[in-house]
Amino acid sequence: MKLTRRNFLLSLAGGLVGINLTPLPWKLMDDISIWTQNWPWVPVPERGRFYHEKSVCTLCQGGCGIKIRKVDGVKDDRAVKIEGREDFPVNRGGICPIGAGGLQLLYDESLRFTSPMKRAGLRGSGNFLNISWDEALEILAKRIIDLRQKGSPEKIVAIDGNRKGSTVSLLIERLMKAIGSPNYIRVPDMEDTYSVACILMCGREYPLSFDLENSDYILSFGCGLIDGWLSPGRVISAWSMWHGELKEKVKVVQIDSRASDTASKATEWIAIKPGTETALALGLCHVIVKEGIYDRDFVKRWTFGFEDWIDEKGNIHMGFKNMVLKRYDPEKVSEITGVPASRIVSVAREFAKARAPVAIFGREKGDLPGSTYEYMAILALNALVGSINRPGGILLQDPVPLKSLPEVPLDRIAKEGLKRRRIDRAGEKEAPFTHSLIYRLSEEINRSKRSPVELLLVFSANPSYTLPDGGEFKKALRKIPFIVSFSPFKDETALMSDLILPDHTYLEKMDEVVWPKGIQYPAYLLSKQAVKPVYNTRHCGDVIIELAKRIGLSKAFPWRSFEDVVKYRAKGLYEAKGRVSWNGEPPWKIKRVSSDYRSFDEMWEKLKDGGLWYKPSDVYGKYEFMTPSKRFEFFSQTLMNYKDSLKDMGIKEEGDVAFMPHFEEEDYPEDYPYRMVIYEMINLSSSWIPSPPFVYKTIFDNQLLKDENFADINPKTAKELGIKQGDRILLTSPSGKIKLRANLTHIARPGCVYVALGFGHTGYDEFIKGKGENPNWIVWGKRDPISGYKIWWSVPVKISKA
Amino acid sequence: MLLWKKEEVRDLFEAVFFFLAGFFLALIIGWFIFPIALYSEHRQPIDFSHAIHLENVEGDTLEEKCLYCHEFYEDGTFSGIPRNEKCLECHDPESPLGEDPEEKRFLEEYLSKGKEIPWYHYFRQPPCVYFPHIAHVKMAKLSCKTCHGDHGTSDHLPVYQENRISGYSRNIWGKHISGYKKNTWDRMKMDDCAECHRKMGHEENNTCFTCHK
Repeated sequence: MKLTRRNFLLSLAGGLVGINLTPLPWKLMDDISIWTQNWPWVPVPERGRFYHEKSVCTLCQGGCGIKIRKVDGVKDDRAVKIEGREDFPVNRGGICPIGAGGLQLLYDESLRFTSPMKRAGLRGSGNFLNISWDEALEILAKRIIDLRQKGSPEKIVAIDGNRKGSTVSLLIERLMKAIGSPNYIRVPDMEDTYSVACILMCGREYPLSFDLENSDYILSFGCGLIDGWLSPGRVISAWSMWHGELKEKVKVVQIDSRASDTASKATEWIAIKPGTETALALGLCHVIVKEGIYDRDFVKRWTFGFEDWIDEKGNIHMGFKNMVLKRYDPEKVSEITGVPASRIVSVAREFAKARAPVAIFGREKGDLPGSTYEYMAILALNALVGSINRPGGILLQDPVPLKSLPEVPLDRIAKEGLKRRRIDRAGEKEAPFTHSLIYRLSEEINRSKRSPVELLLVFSANPSYTLPDGGEFKKALRKIPFIVSFSPFKDETALMSDLILPDHTYLEKMDEVVWPKGIQYPAYLLSKQAVKPVYNTRHCGDVIIELAKRIGLSKAFPWRSFEDVVKYRAKGLYEAKGRVSWNGEPPWKIKRVSSDYRSFDEMWEKLKDGGLWYKPSDVYGKYEFMTPSKRFEFFSQTLMNYKDSLKDMGIKEEGDVAFMPHFEEEDYPEDYPYRMVIYEMINLSSSWIPSPPFVYKTIFDNQLLKDENFADINPKTAKELGIKQGDRILLTSPSGKIKLRANLTHIARPGCVYVALGFGHTGYDEFIKGKGENPNWIVWGKRDPISGYKIWWSVPVKISKA
Repeated sequence: MLLWKKEEVRDLFEAVFFFLAGFFLALIIGWFIFPIALYSEHRQPIDFSHAIHLENVEGDTLEEKCLYCHEFYEDGTFSGIPRNEKCLECHDPESPLGEDPEEKRFLEEYLSKGKEIPWYHYFRQPPCVYFPHIAHVKMAKLSCKTCHGDHGTSDHLPVYQENRISGYSRNIWGKHISGYKKNTWDRMKMDDCAECHRKMGHEENNTCFTCHK
């Protein structure tokens, strides 16, 4: 017996046959495949018992209750999931895609600033050096002190993207006042346009409040009801209520130039020429007035300027009735809007005869300002059918009863500084009802040789990306000598900054939603620190207080922390006797509730834990207009007081018509024959908050393909231009051009081209930046008359093959 | 006529011998050595008698008794092996309930120090498997034994055997290396789930996304 080569091979062969008759190969194969699933970098869910931290989402001002799922015993108190809260009246369990993906905004280190930083490389290069909080605050305090000592505190400008009336925004405004700069500038949204319209027709500003759940006929002027409008959690649960729970049929009529998701799912879709909504609203008014189907009682008792009227001097003025009868007959409106006259008549009749109709405004998500005359026309339409302070209508009510902060003590420098003119000239004759005009700020900087702004502070805003201003702001940033960002994220504006004082992200801090956008009852929501701060960041509110101390303005800030200020303001809530827990009864169905707290401390603890304070609305049937006539003014006497500056405000009309809602045709340059219309998507953030990278998985291939985004074009228009599906095209407006790919679809109106907001970032990380183009960069247009905000909803463009 | 030469016969014999030697060696390796080599053995940190505990916990049926410690949380998730919190409902870290030295060790080394016992899990499925106990215990009314056999009535904890490659307990593949199975609790592989679903008339639960979410 010799182990020759042959015999060796034979034994191997025997082994091979033998081994296949044992379980070994099969078992090994199974084990190896399981082993590959257990590589340490393969993400697996944490094991252990779940528990939830209840809080409130503050990514937008919709005010959804959220619960953050954590796993017991997992280190660093790591959150693993965000869900909607069922015990919350606003969203009743719902949550939007951005909110559900929010954990990435917390844990994705490449999206965030992890420590205070100062710029190391060229502006915008993204090179920063970590510094300590002490050093960062010292750098900023020194600059502010310097400018104050030089006697030019007005060269310090703050841009604030926080909600108006929120504690952080009050602190920022307060800091600016105490420093002595009048240049506190807000990032505008639809609430600002609504404020102007309300001042003119109702006499003062009111919180945005639509009683949608009690309505049976919703006439939506371009509101993306299921595309993320105002408070997606609330509106989508109302939508499912209209289409399911209720016995009564609720009709949703969507006026939109594009067959958006909302238009496709609405009861009816009215395809309109973009930018002509005002004319349509007035056309509907015409039919309602002509056929006498308006709410005569309301119009008679509570409105002014419906009929022609005579002023104190004996001059006769045209009233709203005659104005719409003369100017807006269905035939003419049909010509302007492209909506058939018969359709205008039938919708007007249905609207006026519905039990509780409401006409609502705020294009797309309601994040951007709108047209003042359009909002006025829609308010007038509601007033005609009596849908003001009536169940199902628009509600005008007092703001959340928070206690006001004490007066700001001013030193000599501050007193002098506050006398200076605002750089944006808001409140002057060109925009007398507007508090701040960010567009004008960039214009002034770009026009001047030397920037009138020495030091720019940016809070919760990314105007470089989000402003539909044709890139004006982005350009202006380059000229500002020193920029400080308080953003937690590496957004486009922050990347242009010289100093970063990073805020916590929303899950790491106490923050508020003062009156969730659009809901019909006063509510105050408080989020909590649901997760311990992951990085070396600090609450912006605390940083402002600390900064004020370093500048020597501690008298204006007698608080130790942000929480102290919130607690101070909450005293007003205690006195108003609301509720801090929800018993499941829809707040829009009940008239009165008993308060569920006895002492302030009890309320405060419950509010901090559950995040909710609310009170049912009590304005139904109550009318307190603050206009000169103490009525709802179809004819705005407030505006008439400014009749000498109509031209400055950008109003073409002269005489009585100018003081009533009316339609003014835009002048577009003739060589730009097409219109670009910007739209928003519920699964993509277009605000200053980045989209969680997860949501890019939900974007279709005809919206974004690799690094190119698409423009929706009607096949008919595409044929005229010789464009085929997927072709690369160039959109050129008078202010610039963007390159996209064409998506041929019948949801687009012929002659228009539709581009989504949310793509085209140059900041953040590899998952977000460099994906497509941002239509904001080529927005070109006049100012909206009266408010002074830029018109972004219809941009003249040329389309060519690239 | 074909005549075999002596050398040729020896040659053939030799060839067959070596072939068979390899063949049988492989069989020995595959059937006997491989299963021994594949698993590492671990003793549990503490020995535990399910039998003693069954006598002392409340419950009318065996299942109710099991659920006394292996409970469902309010949200319907299953607790699995109980944590100290549960033990503390009966055990007092200061005075043992019985005379078992293992109990004394448990009280001293874990309970009084607030340290959880690092148990080895006999029945843990990979993380890619979603298995809701509540659907099987409360809705389908399966007894614990169906999947876990006599584990719940045992006097001592068996030695835990861990697959050196996959890192999972031997109980998942089953004691028999061939995958041979006599009782429902002998194996816990996907095919076993599917087999039972089919038998119970729940073929619809055999879609991929039911368990691999």
